[in-house]
Amino acid sequence: MSRLFNTTGIWIIMIILTIFTYAMGKLGYSGTAPVLLLLLTVLIKSTFIIRDFMGLRGVSLLWRSIMYGWLWIVVISIAVTYLMSTH
Amino acid sequence: MNNTATIEYDSEKDQGDVRLLPGDLAIWFFIFAELLVFAVFFIIYSIQRLQHIELFNQYQATLNKESGAVNTILLITASYFVVRAVQSIKADEVEQCIKWLYASLAMGAGFLAIKSYEFYSKFSVGIDLNTNDFYFFYISLTFFHFLHVILGMIIIFAVIIFAKKGKYSAKEHTGIETAASYWHMVDLVWITLFPLVYIIR
Repeated sequence: MSRLFNTTGIWIIMIILTIFTYAMGKLGYSGTAPVLLLLLTVLIKSTFIIRDFMGLRGVSLLWRSIMYGWLWIVVISIAVTYLMSTH
Repeated sequence: MNNTATIEYDSEKDQGDVRLLPGDLAIWFFIFAELLVFAVFFIIYSIQRLQHIELFNQYQATLNKESGAVNTILLITASYFVVRAVQSIKADEVEQCIKWLYASLAMGAGFLAIKSYEFYSKFSVGIDLNTNDFYFFYISLTFFHFLHVILGMIIIFAVIIFAKKGKYSAKEHTGIETAASYWHMVDLVWITLFPLVYIIR
């Protein structure tokens, strides 16, 4: 029961974050703070996918490092290039 | 009821301190390779955007954010259904597992339909890979991902056929976990792709 509850809860949170992302784009928010906020939603949703949906919670640190390393490298690269474009 | 935001993991694989990767180990090497390719794509896109900010902002505005958002919801929901399928087979509920897998296929088909319409709306007005740098990346990135959705659906369909033949149970469900892992990778990539290409400006 708890597994169902938590899986469904995570799914709903990800849907809400997606609607938030869409609203940010639709309302035309741009600039450093909104983009960092958008990237934070990417980090949260991706962590849910890796940890809870893929089921990597508790697997060897090596595998988790590869997955989370990929995520952080991609997000930081996007953030850095965006910040460079604003200065 | 445990109402913390966690998911209990497979107890049969949790005898020691460290769990095994879900599914076949080979699919994980494939997943890592795919993620590496997409990471390179994302970083090159970001660098190109840095060099052509005005152009990227101008043509990004022509994209349909609604279809991008709906497609994100479809893929996340498909992933959720796949998780439910894995939970079902672990409970030895084969029929329920098959229903969840069909539901995830329906979400995938919805994604393909919307994305196909998006491609059609661009191609029908003469937009293609050679139009400009933005459209080159938009079309190539999203089409590359589109192909992965198709492959993910083929894998899930194959798993459904095996499930119908009684190949999976609570004790043996590696195939379903393998398909699930691949499908989640497809979802993971889109979660970054959607804001990067459609929203961030």
